Amino acid sequence: MLTAHELTKRYGDRTVVTDLSFTVRPGTVTGFLGPNGAGKSTTMRMLLGLDAPTRGHATVAGRSYATHPAPLTEVGALLEARSVHPGRTAYHHLRALAHTHGIPRSRVEHVLGLTGLTDVAHRRVKGFSLGMGQRLGIAAALLGDPATLILDEPVNGLDPEGVLWIRNLLKSLAAEGRTVLVSSHLMSEMALTAEHLVIIGRGRLLADTTVTDFVRESGAGTTKVVTPEATALAGLLTAPGTDITTDTPGTLLIRGTDAQHIGRTAAAHGIPLYELTPASASLEEAFMDLTRDAVEYPATLQGAAA
Amino acid sequence: MTMTTLPYRVTPARVLRSEWHKFWTLRSTWITLAVTSALTAAMGAGLGAAYDGTGEGGMDTVMFVLLGTQFATINLGVLGILATAGEYSTGQIRATMTAVPRRLPVLWSKAAVLTAVALPLTLATNLLTFPLAQSFLTGTDLSASLGDPGVLRALAGNAAGLTLLAVLALGIGALLRSVPTAIGAFIGLVMILPEILAMLPYAFVDDAVRYFPGKALEALTTAQPLPGTASPGAALLAMLLWTAVILTAAAVVLRRKDV
Repeated sequence: MLTAHELTKRYGDRTVVTDLSFTVRPGTVTGFLGPNGAGKSTTMRMLLGLDAPTRGHATVAGRSYATHPAPLTEVGALLEARSVHPGRTAYHHLRALAHTHGIPRSRVEHVLGLTGLTDVAHRRVKGFSLGMGQRLGIAAALLGDPATLILDEPVNGLDPEGVLWIRNLLKSLAAEGRTVLVSSHLMSEMALTAEHLVIIGRGRLLADTTVTDFVRESGAGTTKVVTPEATALAGLLTAPGTDITTDTPGTLLIRGTDAQHIGRTAAAHGIPLYELTPASASLEEAFMDLTRDAVEYPATLQGAAA
Repeated sequence: MTMTTLPYRVTPARVLRSEWHKFWTLRSTWITLAVTSALTAAMGAGLGAAYDGTGEGGMDTVMFVLLGTQFATINLGVLGILATAGEYSTGQIRATMTAVPRRLPVLWSKAAVLTAVALPLTLATNLLTFPLAQSFLTGTDLSASLGDPGVLRALAGNAAGLTLLAVLALGIGALLRSVPTAIGAFIGLVMILPEILAMLPYAFVDDAVRYFPGKALEALTTAQPLPGTASPGAALLAMLLWTAVILTAAAVVLRRKDV
């Protein structure tokens, strides 16, 4: 369990994170979303005690990260910037980290195997591809078999196979009861991986919600129906959990049921349909709507639309 | 989570073990140490062989034989700087401080590892270089043996001084967090600043400069104390103080500043 209590971070006169509070619970993957420059990395660094908050505090399992007797067993972290000496081999990098906690060689070999690095373990990190570097970062994060994982943009620069691997890894780690906080600037990626969402923009909390709620509120999952018998169809479809709105006469926007059910109901009652369109899941758009005012350097197109 | 039976825990001895492991698993460490010893011995032998026997006046025999340790000063200093500032330039520091978030044990361990390596190495190198160079100097005014007064003390004093300078450089690296800046500051403090200050026409500056790290190292390296230099004991004390002050400043910065 990770908790941020009114975290504020100022660098000189630039405030990067403002009064940010949220809780990350075990057993699910929590997506930490925000446009570039929103303060995600800074927040993660504050959770790990690498950066001291200007105000507020962060706790891991109820106390600050630095006060844990075996920090690597509490939190495993993959930070966005590479955190490895390029002249050392993957094996020795992990061995050196393991020594600080008395973690045995067998565990080092285990995490190397888990991340598929066994064959390159004795190569110097300097020659690693981006994907191998990410895998090494994840191996280091798993070293202490931690209860919590904090991963900053883990899929950045990975090939599709690597992305899939990370997605499944995160889900299985959460399924084991661990707390998983993973940052991204891509809503679409988080929709596939996370169940819970913490969304920030310009260092402020914008939303603390579940993916399901976000999807529902974002308008994704809406089906547009055009029919001359709108009122009759709406009457037939009314049910708990189904939400029907209309903006122009003859057009219904239906949420909470799918196109198949709507089509069958209409057919069963002889209601003609001119259009039956499930809205393509525009999660990314909903996310951009939410963060539009909070992007640091908005593109002119967005600026004009706002 | 089951917290009761966790065998893993950070202890000072384990952090030391980790830093020891880090030190030896970089190729640069081996190269630097080998080059340092080889240059000292080669310079000693070369100078001994080239010496024509006509006294140039007042050159201390140990100082002469160990002229190659000028390179050792820089080499070992760079090694110390790489141990600290090098972690910032590579990003390794984030992994290090995530594993040991209390931070200070890392600094102490790095200093301890460097001391444990540099002191025996420089001592052994000096004890080897001196007889080697002396084998060419028989019959000259610089001829001396290990048993002569002050010789062993100067050879050991030089090793101690070089080690302290390396740890001082390590502290500068931790303070400045940039390899090139730290190397510049180290060379400036040890080699350039004393020469500039010595040109000032004030007697008290002259007295103070004797206790600057570079000058104190020279005082430690002479078998017979030269006029206008600090006594070996005072020189060693001065170097200990310099190193302690810089390391303390590095510790304060490490505790306070974001990684």
